Amino acid sequence: MRRPRWPALLASLVRLNAVEELQYRANFVASVLATSFWIATALLTLGLFFRHTTRLGGWDYWEVVVLLGVFNALTGVIESVLRPGIGQLADDVKSGALDLVLVRPADAQLFVSFRRLDLWRVTDIVLGLALSGYALIRLGHVPTIWQSGAFLVALVAAAIVVYAIWVALMSLAFWFVAVENLSVLFDALYEGARYPVSAYPGALRFVFVYLLPIAWATTVPASTLTGRLSPVTALGAAGVGAAAFLLARLLWRTALKRYTGASG
Amino acid sequence: MSTATVWARRYGALIRNAWLVDLQYRAAILLWVLWGVTEPAIALGIWWAIAGAGDVAGYGRADFARYFFAVMLVNQLTIAWDSWYLDRWIREGELNFRLARPLHPAHEATADNIAYKARSGTILLVVWLVTAAIWPAVRLPLDPARWALTALAVLLAAGLRFLISFTTGLLAFWTTRATAIMELHAGIAMFLAGRIAPLALLPPPIAHLATVLWFRPMLAFPVEVLTGAVTSTPELLSGFAAQVIWLALWLAACRLAWRRGLARYGAVGG
Repeated sequence: MRRPRWPALLASLVRLNAVEELQYRANFVASVLATSFWIATALLTLGLFFRHTTRLGGWDYWEVVVLLGVFNALTGVIESVLRPGIGQLADDVKSGALDLVLVRPADAQLFVSFRRLDLWRVTDIVLGLALSGYALIRLGHVPTIWQSGAFLVALVAAAIVVYAIWVALMSLAFWFVAVENLSVLFDALYEGARYPVSAYPGALRFVFVYLLPIAWATTVPASTLTGRLSPVTALGAAGVGAAAFLLARLLWRTALKRYTGASG
Repeated sequence: MSTATVWARRYGALIRNAWLVDLQYRAAILLWVLWGVTEPAIALGIWWAIAGAGDVAGYGRADFARYFFAVMLVNQLTIAWDSWYLDRWIREGELNFRLARPLHPAHEATADNIAYKARSGTILLVVWLVTAAIWPAVRLPLDPARWALTALAVLLAAGLRFLISFTTGLLAFWTTRATAIMELHAGIAMFLAGRIAPLALLPPPIAHLATVLWFRPMLAFPVEVLTGAVTSTPELLSGFAAQVIWLALWLAACRLAWRRGLARYGAVGG
């Protein structure tokens, strides 16, 4: 059988999931309500910090809100694509369900990553970007064409970095089969992306930029948008994104060699 | 055999069983502990940066460090996952065989909590001791009276949070969104229970609300006893009184929800 080209495969996965999700329209309302609630708690938390300070790691209130919007948009990517897809990998390795993926005439990594989409959570992306936009208005800052372009590049790179982190963490399941809640590791790390890295003590900042590159997820895109970093930074972000993608691909291949299947 | 001996043997068996089940999930429990300390660790990082410019409402850097280490430990010792279990038991019918046992399912849940907290609490206590050996800021005086009072406050808080979680889980008799209600409660508790900042740093009306409701008794009060923020007898007495009163109220709510819910459950399944 001919392997389908990846755009065609992706399109049909999106279509299948859309058909399924449209049956559960009440989930849309629940999802919007939950997201609004969590945005509100995040804003209240920020408000609490800013009751006692005027700057957080050198950023003022509305700058951090721009970052919070980016954080929320990325959360949307995570909850709609990554957690339901690659996030289930540990379970599949444990139960042997990965067998059923590997025998398909499609790229296994692509299929595992996009097989299940929680499309209602896409509202998080919209609400997050809206929050960033509102914060920019409050800052009185209109991004230039270059800044906007750099932001888009940095945001796509951020999504790829976060994806690569998921692949890296989930690949651990091939070595440590018994650990069922590996995704908790991601949640713990991602909490660090809520605030600009400059707010953390030096050692932690180093870790977030170079070792567990969570700084590229929110701090960099938000900085390009507000003009804190020059648009040239987008080139760096693109480089980090590309490197992260290649590493994730390499790690996936290495890990898969360890997989022996349910019956093996 | 006396009643006390019977119950001691029952609980001995239940806790042993829960301990052995948890033993299979050692690594998973370690990850849950790690996840549990992230939020206070990040809050500490942020307050640490803010307090670099000077004390915040009387809290210096070392005070924040002690406060959030205490939050990590007390939160781990009082956290209760029971609403998630009950939600599953009720929706998927796993409650049925538990009802057939000659023992209320709350006892199994209590034993699970004791076994889980003995393990995760020990992990955190060791982490704290190791950290304190190299970082003086998080050291606490070895004052037996304070540790004894803390133990009592933690015990009451654990009971309170167990009842809140159990009762919320029982809402699964009526709705499929019981765990969402629990998460909503967790979001509110982030502020009111003192997870994101000491209550003294909240706007006074909100801090007052937290004290009047069950939020301070469920976490902030034992933390304050442990860090030495609360030492005077009247403060201690009113804190413990609030814990006991809310424990009694949530126990009443729990019994009511259990009775009503079970009647409804029987009707649906029968």
